[in-house]
Amino acid sequence: MASVKLDNIQKRFGDVQVLHGIDLDIKDGEFVVLIGESGCGKSTLLRLLSGLEEITEGDLHIDGQRVNHQSPAQRGIAMVFQSYALYPHMSVYKNMAFGLKIAGQDKQAVKLKVEEAAKKLKIDHLLERLPRELSGGQRQRVAIGRAIVRDPKVFLFDEPLSNLDASLRVKTRVELGKLHQELNATIVYVTHDQVEAMTLGDKIVVMNQGRIEQAGTPLSLYHHPKTEFVAGFIGSPKMNFISAQVTSIESDSVQLMLESGPTIRAAIDGQTLKLADKVKLGVRPEHFVLATDEENQFQGRVSLVENLGELAYVYVNTGQNAESDIVIKLDGDCQYQAGDSIRFAVAAADTYLFDKAGMALPRLNKA
Amino acid sequence: MTLPKSKSTPESAVEKKPIPWHIVFFLGPALLIYLTFSVYPLLDTLILSLYDEQKGQSSFVGLQNFITLISDDNWSSAFWNALANNFQFFIIHMLVQNPIGLLLAVLLSSPKLRFSGSYRTFIFMPTMLSVVIIGFVWQLLLSPIWGISENFLYHLGLDHYFDAWLGKESSALITLSFISVWQFVGIPMMLIYATLLNIPDDIVDASVVDGANPMQTFWYIKLPLILPTIAMVSILTFVANFNAFELIYAVKGALAGPNFSTDLMGTFFYRTFFGFQLQEGSATMGAAVATLMFLIILVGIMLFLFFVQRRIQRFQF
Amino acid sequence: MMISAFKNFNLGRSVPKSVAIHGVLMAYTVIALFPILVVIINAFKERRAIFRDPLAMPTMDSFTLVGFEQVLLRSDFGLYSWNSLVVTLLAVGLVLLLGAMAAWALTEYKFRTNLLITFLFAMGIMIPIRLGTVSILRLMVDLNLVNTLTALVLVYIAQGLPLAVYILSEFIRTIPKELKEAARCDAVSEYKIFFCIILPLLKPAMATVAVFTMIPIWNDLWFPLILAPGEETRTITLGVQQFVGQYVTDWNSVLSALTMAIVPVLVLYTIFSRQLIRGLTSGAVK
Repeated sequence: MASVKLDNIQKRFGDVQVLHGIDLDIKDGEFVVLIGESGCGKSTLLRLLSGLEEITEGDLHIDGQRVNHQSPAQRGIAMVFQSYALYPHMSVYKNMAFGLKIAGQDKQAVKLKVEEAAKKLKIDHLLERLPRELSGGQRQRVAIGRAIVRDPKVFLFDEPLSNLDASLRVKTRVELGKLHQELNATIVYVTHDQVEAMTLGDKIVVMNQGRIEQAGTPLSLYHHPKTEFVAGFIGSPKMNFISAQVTSIESDSVQLMLESGPTIRAAIDGQTLKLADKVKLGVRPEHFVLATDEENQFQGRVSLVENLGELAYVYVNTGQNAESDIVIKLDGDCQYQAGDSIRFAVAAADTYLFDKAGMALPRLNKA
Repeated sequence: MTLPKSKSTPESAVEKKPIPWHIVFFLGPALLIYLTFSVYPLLDTLILSLYDEQKGQSSFVGLQNFITLISDDNWSSAFWNALANNFQFFIIHMLVQNPIGLLLAVLLSSPKLRFSGSYRTFIFMPTMLSVVIIGFVWQLLLSPIWGISENFLYHLGLDHYFDAWLGKESSALITLSFISVWQFVGIPMMLIYATLLNIPDDIVDASVVDGANPMQTFWYIKLPLILPTIAMVSILTFVANFNAFELIYAVKGALAGPNFSTDLMGTFFYRTFFGFQLQEGSATMGAAVATLMFLIILVGIMLFLFFVQRRIQRFQF
Repeated sequence: MMISAFKNFNLGRSVPKSVAIHGVLMAYTVIALFPILVVIINAFKERRAIFRDPLAMPTMDSFTLVGFEQVLLRSDFGLYSWNSLVVTLLAVGLVLLLGAMAAWALTEYKFRTNLLITFLFAMGIMIPIRLGTVSILRLMVDLNLVNTLTALVLVYIAQGLPLAVYILSEFIRTIPKELKEAARCDAVSEYKIFFCIILPLLKPAMATVAVFTMIPIWNDLWFPLILAPGEETRTITLGVQQFVGQYVTDWNSVLSALTMAIVPVLVLYTIFSRQLIRGLTSGAVK
């Protein structure tokens, strides 16, 4: 087990700068999730960590040692590929033993390690099979097993669940979480699925266009996103963004006028704002409530209801000036239908606010 | 040819399915031409090899033609000579052409290699030309009269090794084999190259992560994955070699000189069928030679299918 | 010391390694092209210049077209090329059409002899048609087709069909079922389904088949030599072979004849090499 330290890591392919200076500290035993849209550089960063790709600039330390020019094996990393990348001509046993064999370990020791890992992953009955004789989930386990037997300092996972079907994905996600607790290993995990990120990560690193947008615990990212991008990325369905104008600034809140009409009070520290500034109000779907006679009321017409049974997503058109429908998360037994008129509200404490540049303003009343 | 059966008795069974005319239409022309000009001649040749023809009289002689071929004083030495030469021709291809093809393919598939498209195009170029043309080109280049090769070796300080290679009994066949290797090296190169390209990058990356160096990655990962292609290249080489004719005919003529030292089954077949010098051509003996060639090729294919193809599965990624 | 060895281990290609790779490939490229270029260069030189310095480019002094004049004078190169062109185009065209129709029938329809016929065609990929030459010649004599281009076309169709049927069948299997099922629901006839829906989809595979079929036909010596050796039906390969054999001591003519046979093929190859190589590397031939 080891800590990993990235210091101003950069990557250029020819003239194209893919990573613009990544700084990141990964603690021993920490589960770090790299998340972002495709092309944001998360997979490239993982390949730099693995040693499959050369670092253009910056320093990479594993366990306090600079490893920029070390091979993957010397770095002591193991990687689980999105495609699993099992050797198609080798049995499961040979797949798992390959790295140990290359390292010159003696056969008996290899056998013990492979069998132990296989038992842990419940694939000990599959050891003589070829990869093509396995199901997707089983291949996945073999790929993880191949990483475990090497007893690496750092595990790297490249979207390991994306080739599994939905139900298996949930199951494997839970198992991965348990495995992490059991192994107490340092893990860097790349995904584009924010549920995986929220559930698995000790720390989430949101990447955007080759830069780290924000890094932090799942809940800190949920409650205190630094930018509009992070706010939109974490949470499902996505946060609603509504254009607004600042009408008054007080010590404990900011008054806004939405383009669609209503006036809203947001519990935001607005010291840096000026009157009449154009801003964006952010409200998560789960923070809307059906209006009684509270403040911060919206009204509109239901354009679509997606009822999932336990809950329902209601899409509301709030008037001609609204950019897009507002999504509200309500109980599954709500009776709304398309065409109904609806009144709903949000508590001042549950709002987010972003300035013109997309930077978040500090939220009050939220730890 | 059982397909048109139903055609002959269309009214015999009242409830019989109607003739599938569309199948006859789609399949008929191709099948007719293929059966008439490929399958029938081959079968007819096999049967003809069991007959003897004297002055237009045809008589069944069983395996006599084959016995003559392998044991008669007039025939057997020529036959065994051609067969032995052909094996030598094949072995040189296997030992030289396919390893060079493999090497070039591996080099070509190096990641981020510049100009790989141009190398591919150029190295494959000789393969496109007719064997006849290539034979003449090399005949000129190796000709002591022109002296271009001698001159070339002189610059390397090797000129005393130069010889009229194509004219000497001891070296003519080897020289022709190398000319053929030179021409066809592009085929194993291309096929192996294609297979190498199809190996997913992830698998190679995985072996790097597992600590394998480039040699180990090649030996343990890539080579096993291209073995099926190498096996296929081998059988293609085998069939082509035991069917070769043009190169020898162009460079050495039907007599495959000097003193039959470059005779292959193909040229032997041609001479037997059409005759040469004082020996009259014989269709039945020609058919017997063709039948033996057929059997050799068939055995080769069978060995390939049963021993090689069965063990080496094609891997899906 | 160890560290320097570890350095650059994975930097894509370290410089010396890359140089070595290019060195080997370039050397082999020279080996592959040199003989061909020498012949072409010397075809344009005077006899004395050919012998004095074979590697020199033709100069103002040594340049001559006398070899080409001789070739055109003494043989009918235009006719030979025309014969080759007619035979190749007809044979390839018919292989494509008949091969596609047969591949369609064998993959689409179930009938009793389907497997047998598929097997027969598959055998033809490996077993060379040449082995039946004795009987082919007899057959052509009986059909009165000796020394006709028709004989060559027929044999080449039979030669080309097996691979064509195989490659096209593999390709047809990848066409989604829904396409023809939708057509059948609209009561489109089987003929129309094939000619209007399937055939146009086969174009890419047909290009591959065309290249693989064309090269052996154009380059063949065996069947022209045996079935159509007459002056009127000679193909270019046979024509060159006969010409070079006859004027073997006339270096200008020999070099020019070879050049005239090589250059058109190289020009066509350069134009279509991408397509050809794509066909070869797409795994169409297994």
